[in-house]
Parts: sequence; C-alpha cells; structure tokens
Amino acid sequence: MTRVIEVPAHLDDRSFDQFAAGFGAWPPEEKVLLDARGAQWASPYGLIGMLTAGQALAEAKRDRPLLTVPQSEEVKRYWARAGFFHYAAELFELHGRVPRAQASGPSDVLLDVTPVRATEDVHEVVGKISESATRILHGELGLELKATLRFTMALSEACQNIVEHAGTSGWVAVQAYTFRRRLGRRVVVIAVSDAGIGFRRSLESTHAKRFGERWGDGAALEAALIQGVSRFRDPGRGQGLAFIKRFLDQWKGKISIRSGTARLSIVPPWDEDVPLSEHLPFFPGAQVQIIIPAQDAEPR
Amino acid sequence: MIQTIRIGNLLRETVMRPYRCLVTRPTGAAVRCRIEEALARSDCHITLLDFSDVELLDLSCADEVVAKLLLAEAAMPPRFLVLRGLREDHHEAIEYVLTHHRLAVTATMHGRGEPRLLGWVSPDARAAFDCLCALGAARPGDLAEALAWSEGRAREALQALLAHRLIRPDGERYLPLLSA
Repeated sequence: MTRVIEVPAHLDDRSFDQFAAGFGAWPPEEKVLLDARGAQWASPYGLIGMLTAGQALAEAKRDRPLLTVPQSEEVKRYWARAGFFHYAAELFELHGRVPRAQASGPSDVLLDVTPVRATEDVHEVVGKISESATRILHGELGLELKATLRFTMALSEACQNIVEHAGTSGWVAVQAYTFRRRLGRRVVVIAVSDAGIGFRRSLESTHAKRFGERWGDGAALEAALIQGVSRFRDPGRGQGLAFIKRFLDQWKGKISIRSGTARLSIVPPWDEDVPLSEHLPFFPGAQVQIIIPAQDAEPR
Repeated sequence: MIQTIRIGNLLRETVMRPYRCLVTRPTGAAVRCRIEEALARSDCHITLLDFSDVELLDLSCADEVVAKLLLAEAAMPPRFLVLRGLREDHHEAIEYVLTHHRLAVTATMHGRGEPRLLGWVSPDARAAFDCLCALGAARPGDLAEALAWSEGRAREALQALLAHRLIRPDGERYLPLLSA
C-alpha cells in the first residue's frame, strides 16, 4: 500500500496544514508518495517542509518515500535553483526528470535550502547570507542598513534553535519575493524547519506543570514565543525569540511557529492570520517562518 | 595598567577558522573561556575588550561573552572591564542581554572615545555616570552640586556605579574607568 499525498499547487504556510493532513496518524504505516506533479509554486517554508517530512520518515525508519517532481519546467528549474532537489534526492526516490541547478548571478534566493546539523552550519549560514542580505534588504526592501545585521542575528538565533532544542538536524532557506495576494509588496522570508521533538516535548519537563491541563503544543508555543521561556535553567536563555519578535514589531514583520498540532503567529496589521491555531493535523518538529516586508510603501 | 583583548582575533584563534561573525552559544562560551584565561594571567586592573573587528554579534554570543563574563567577574577581586569598538548592532544586542540580567558595563562606540553606559542601572546612577564622565573626577559633594542633588543621593548613585564596577575609587574621589 502506498499513501499518496498531493502537494498543494501553492505550497506555503497556509496550505501546509492540508499537506500535513495527508500523512494521517504519524508516522504513516504505508509507503509515502509525495505527488508534486501539479505544483505551481512553493515558498521556502513549503520546500523545507517537504524535506522535513522526508527526514522524519527516515528517522522513523519508514520505507524511503517517493516524490514525483513538478511537471512545470519553470517550477522544476526554480526548485533546482533553490537547492531543493539536491537534498530531496538523499531523502526521496525521485520520479521525473530533474534539471541540474545552474549557477547564476544575483537572484531572489538569498540562501539556498541549507541543512543545519551543527553549530558550524550556523556560522556558514551567517557567513553566506551577509552580502545578499544587504543587497535585498537595503537595496530592494528599503530597510535601513542596520536592519541587515538584525536580520542576520534573527537568522542565527532561529537556526540555533534547531541545534539546541530539536534533537535532530533541520533546514533553512531564505528568499525574497512579491507577496501579491496578502500584501502587494516585496518581502524577505526566512523559513526554518526541523523534524525534531517539537516545542511541547522540549519544554515539558520544566514548564508543563504550571500550565496544568492547558499544556499542549499551543501552550508550549506561547511559553516560548510570548513568555520567552526555555528548557534550560540558565536565566540568559529564551531571549532569542523575544528579540526577533521585538524587531519584527518595528518592521511590521510576521513570525509564525508551527509545532506538532498548533501554530502561533505574531500577526502584523497587513495580515489576516489568527494568532493561535490549535488541533491542526500533526506534523513533526517545528517550522518557523519570518516575513519582513518592504518599508517603502503603505500596504494595500 | 590597561590591557586590550581583541575579540575578533580571539574568535579566530578559538574556532581556528577565519570567522568574523561572533555567533552561536558554543562559540561564545569558548571565546569567554579564552577571555577568562587571559584575565587570570593578567595583573591589569582595566581590560578593554575590543570588538572593532567583529562583523556581527548575535544575542546568544552577547549573552555568553559579555553577560556571563560580567556575572563571573562579580565574584572575582576588583578589576574592571570596558567594551571598545562597538557598532550599533553590537550595542543593541549587548544592551538587550545586560538589561535582561540587570547588569551594566562601560563601553565606547567604534571610532569614538567618549564612554557610555550599557545595560541596566537606576536613573540616578545613569545620570551620575554621565556627570562623572563630563567632570572627569568627582567627590560625592562635587557630583551633588553639579546635579543639584543632596550629597546622600549622590553618594548612593556612586555606590551603585561602584557595585557594577562602572567607576573606580581614588581616595575620596571617583573616576570614570577611561579617565587618565
């Protein structure tokens, strides 16, 4: 038996729940086939979400999943250029012709799909992004120059959460694109995902008691993002997400974190998302998305 | 005596790679250990931690390098730390973590000499710090006169700065750390 999971035509944070629902009870018993033939677009969040699924299935010792590649040449080229197929080939049995990623000049991909396994990877990510971050954030999005450094700090903190809390490795990707439907302007999106233990299990031993019956994925996300708690007793911990939240307030940016069956977002005025969604289809680990919009125009 | 520790050099020696960005907790903790070793070997009363060749300092490293160093130094015999060559983003990260821990440190910004106070102190202590830097050296009475405070209030503010090791005593006077 094979469980066929159709990859939504537009795979992003909004359609991700539909994607997660396809897996049913986790981990699925059957062999999994991700059917991306009809895919027309995937955000960085969507791309690394698919890799996270492949990684989680491998870690659950399930059969190697299958992935049918998009039919659209343009979509395939884009996914290849973002580095998706390079890692997908390690996790999935790919079906369909995959174009070779071509080196090109400056593009909207600030950071290819990149694995985060250890501290050294965070150094590499930070080193790689510096130049393109200035070009996109300052040059295209109209953010002040110092925003580039804050952005890189946020990226560093988000990646470190994988190394320090997930208990396994993860992925990061950063891209600029135009957010036509929701905002009508250019944005930079950081997506970070891991297949690890998730926020609830990470915080359970130190914080579940005080939440009592409320404890769950949603409460764990609130504790981490709103209250700045950490599983470590070190009082210096837990400041990373709080700092990211603070500078996103200044830039009218958005952060959303999905873990297990819940998603918590700090919602800027331009977005209509709900702050907390619970009872979502389960998906392993944690998925973080940070959106920073261009500053030079009023939202539509 | 004053010694200078160049944090960028220490970073590269510690990780043995040409990194210019001070990021991640393990890296910060390793750099802090090297600073502590250098402090333990030194007889200098004032140590300048020079950040001028650090391209980026993230929050985790601000906490590991600066906040934890100050927490550890509080238990050591009186010696003074000053941060030098900070850029605005370094300043922001360090200020954030020090405020979280209710710590404070004297710092100078990149390319500028005048000291400023980073972190958390009472408003009176902050005003006293600024006034003392302007005066160069002062007794509690001098400070009280300059700020139109009672002498008791000035003395209390100076004691708070002394407790944070943001100024040093010199007989009856108090000096900013970077004065001659």
